[in-house]
Amino acid sequence: MFSNGDEIFKISRLTIVWLAGIFTIVWMVCWALGIALPMLLTQQLGDKAALTNEILRAATPVIAILVFIPINAMFMVLIERRALALWTVRKGPNRVGPDGNFQTAADAVKLLLKEDITPTGADAVMHTFAPILFFAPSVFGAVPLLAAVTNNHPLFRVLNLPTGIFFVLAAGALPVVALVMAGWASNNKYSLVGGLRSAAQAISYEIPLVLSLITVCLMAGTLDLVKITEQQAGGILNWNLLGGGALTGLNNALAGGGAKALATSYFMGPISYVCAGLLVISLIISFWLYLTGACAEINRIPFDLPEAESELVSGYNTEYSGMKFAIFFLAEFTNLFIVSSITTVMFLGGGDNPIPPYILNNIPGIPQMVAAIRDSYFCSTLHIINPETFFATLWVIAKVYGLVIFAVLIRGTLPRFRIDQLMAFGWKRLIPLSLIVFIIVVFAREFVICHG
Amino acid sequence: MATEIQEIDLKTDEMIINMGPQHPATHGVLRLLLTLDGETVKHVEPVLGHLHRAQEWQGQNRTWFQYQALIDRVDYLSGMFTSWAMARSCEQIDGTVVPPRAEYLRVMVSEMNRITSHLLWLGTYLIDLGAMFGFPFYPFREREKLFDLFEEIAGQRMMFNYIRIGGVLRDPKPEWFDKLKRFLDEFPDRIDEYETIVTQNPIFLKRTKGVGILTQAVAKDYGVTGPCIRSSGIPLDLRRTKPYSVYPELKFDVITFDKEGDTWDRYMARILEMRQSIEIIRQCIDKLPSGDIMGKKQMAGMRIKAGEGFAAVESPRGILGCYVISGGGEKALRFRWRNPSFCNLSVLHELLKGCPLSDIMAIFGSIDVILPDVDR
Repeated sequence: MFSNGDEIFKISRLTIVWLAGIFTIVWMVCWALGIALPMLLTQQLGDKAALTNEILRAATPVIAILVFIPINAMFMVLIERRALALWTVRKGPNRVGPDGNFQTAADAVKLLLKEDITPTGADAVMHTFAPILFFAPSVFGAVPLLAAVTNNHPLFRVLNLPTGIFFVLAAGALPVVALVMAGWASNNKYSLVGGLRSAAQAISYEIPLVLSLITVCLMAGTLDLVKITEQQAGGILNWNLLGGGALTGLNNALAGGGAKALATSYFMGPISYVCAGLLVISLIISFWLYLTGACAEINRIPFDLPEAESELVSGYNTEYSGMKFAIFFLAEFTNLFIVSSITTVMFLGGGDNPIPPYILNNIPGIPQMVAAIRDSYFCSTLHIINPETFFATLWVIAKVYGLVIFAVLIRGTLPRFRIDQLMAFGWKRLIPLSLIVFIIVVFAREFVICHG
Repeated sequence: MATEIQEIDLKTDEMIINMGPQHPATHGVLRLLLTLDGETVKHVEPVLGHLHRAQEWQGQNRTWFQYQALIDRVDYLSGMFTSWAMARSCEQIDGTVVPPRAEYLRVMVSEMNRITSHLLWLGTYLIDLGAMFGFPFYPFREREKLFDLFEEIAGQRMMFNYIRIGGVLRDPKPEWFDKLKRFLDEFPDRIDEYETIVTQNPIFLKRTKGVGILTQAVAKDYGVTGPCIRSSGIPLDLRRTKPYSVYPELKFDVITFDKEGDTWDRYMARILEMRQSIEIIRQCIDKLPSGDIMGKKQMAGMRIKAGEGFAAVESPRGILGCYVISGGGEKALRFRWRNPSFCNLSVLHELLKGCPLSDIMAIFGSIDVILPDVDR
């Protein structure tokens, strides 16, 4: 029988190497620009450096994103191809460099060197502008997420918005315009059909997507991504995935509050318990709705109709080559990453440890380890590692890339919908379901004290 | 047919799309001229001939021995059947008696070839449905194992040239049968595995159930054969209706469905046929007589007596017929092939009328057309 233990080992090794590389590079850039350079300037110039430092601090997160996106997309393409190969009894790219590590780098170079073709009869301006418009939202849409995924690190706090999730969703709605533009400007019938399909699909699936996030915001009482993350701190029972704080009372009781904590949170007795159960079920459905809607929003299988290969050749990007195609490709994978990050922040507690602190702190060795890291030279003097941010980032990485791998697994399993079935599924199933969930949450949350 | 395009009343909202011959999903080089109203197909016209290789003409300009090797390439997924059809028609003229061991071996390798052909169809059909990177590679795993077995007996993995006029090329070693038995033991589990992933997959059911319904009347009108017509409820299987070789001695079921066949039925028919093929091969291994495997001397200057003959076999795609006229020389006077893919393809425009753009590939894929077999 086919044995793939060796392949799994290779893929894990590749993942660890890449992730360590990516986040070391990105963090070193951030530290050098946002912490080390301002410190140095202040030492040398004193007060005169204040303005420069402000500019540097503001520029750091943006530069970090711009550094992060291309390397991350390269890694995601590689891991997608390798993981798919594992699940489909193939080998995947394993020739360029050790373990095939440089495959996507080689692909990127190839795409950059390829001829950039604008087809005859195409609208050249629109044709060029479409990939840029497709890519831009994924850069500035990611900005408010930064503070949330790094446990409100001082370096990224400046970019946090009080209406963070609203901004992210608004940015996520923009690429549709770019896809229609690309389809229209290509002077190709397949592209046109692909672009129009993507418009129809994105408009339909945005409704359940937003409604599912609204239920979360309703439970949290805020649109601020950092606040939503902070509320979920304290173990898996506090996460929005499990009731959006409906189980906080249970969590407090287990933490040592006992029956008193239960009575405080579930003040109406049995009715409160039933409502808490309803909230848990509703929020799990919301989570599923969000994943489905997001899959459709970023055109992944089984909702990849805009670029359905067996029907539309390649949909809206049929006529794109070289650099322009590379930007489309880059943005698609960045969108997948952003969607996973939103899921992590909104449902999976951001950088929160799934094991609650009352269990974790009783495990011998863990508190000592945390204290040792906190007192080390790197943390206390150079501020290279902030222990809270460090562990939070590790959890965020695990959760986000876990969701990415889940999306890859879905891609490796399901066939594609037909366009009318896709529309029917969106309008007749998902939207009513999300409305029902919304209404249940509106009423049920009145009977439970959520989030402490 | 070309004039028909002129007759179409072109409204402003209709769009003519040229699908193929360089389209990624047209299974090679079929060109479909689609008239679309939005995403609904109004009219479709297949344009053939991009892969025309004059196979029949080559039959008249090659010796029998050369043409035997060439004819595998007509339907490259089921070379055993084209060889077999040609061998049978020539034996009919020549009056060659094929030894029973050779007949059994022919049935065995042909049924193995039927399995490989259906496996490839299964993989590519799921690609047509958009399961781009997932499931399609599982059938290829088993297909490789069968190809290894073919390689041992024929020296080739796809263009076997194993069934020759008068018998078969080589007698397999005893170990070969052990390998084959081992494969047959594990293969039903593999089919179960495919079925677990595919058969009841809700998206797959949505895409295939009730799509591309082929009624019995239409199927008869257009001369559709093979799994396509059997899934529409007509038990037309040459292995039963007009038995040849040793099929009368073997037990197997002809897969039919009671109702009008949709694409899901055509999928299911092929899955069940693979299971039947396993049974046939098992029986062949048990009943295999000993003895000679070749009834005619194989040489470059081989001659066939003067006369004409026709023989048909049940290939994975339908009835494959070979009509040949021999003048008694080293070459044939005339070859004529009845290719199942060509006849099955002719029903396409009936099935596609009024269906959405996405269903074109779901329906076209379910007919299981091999383009070299269409164009010859």
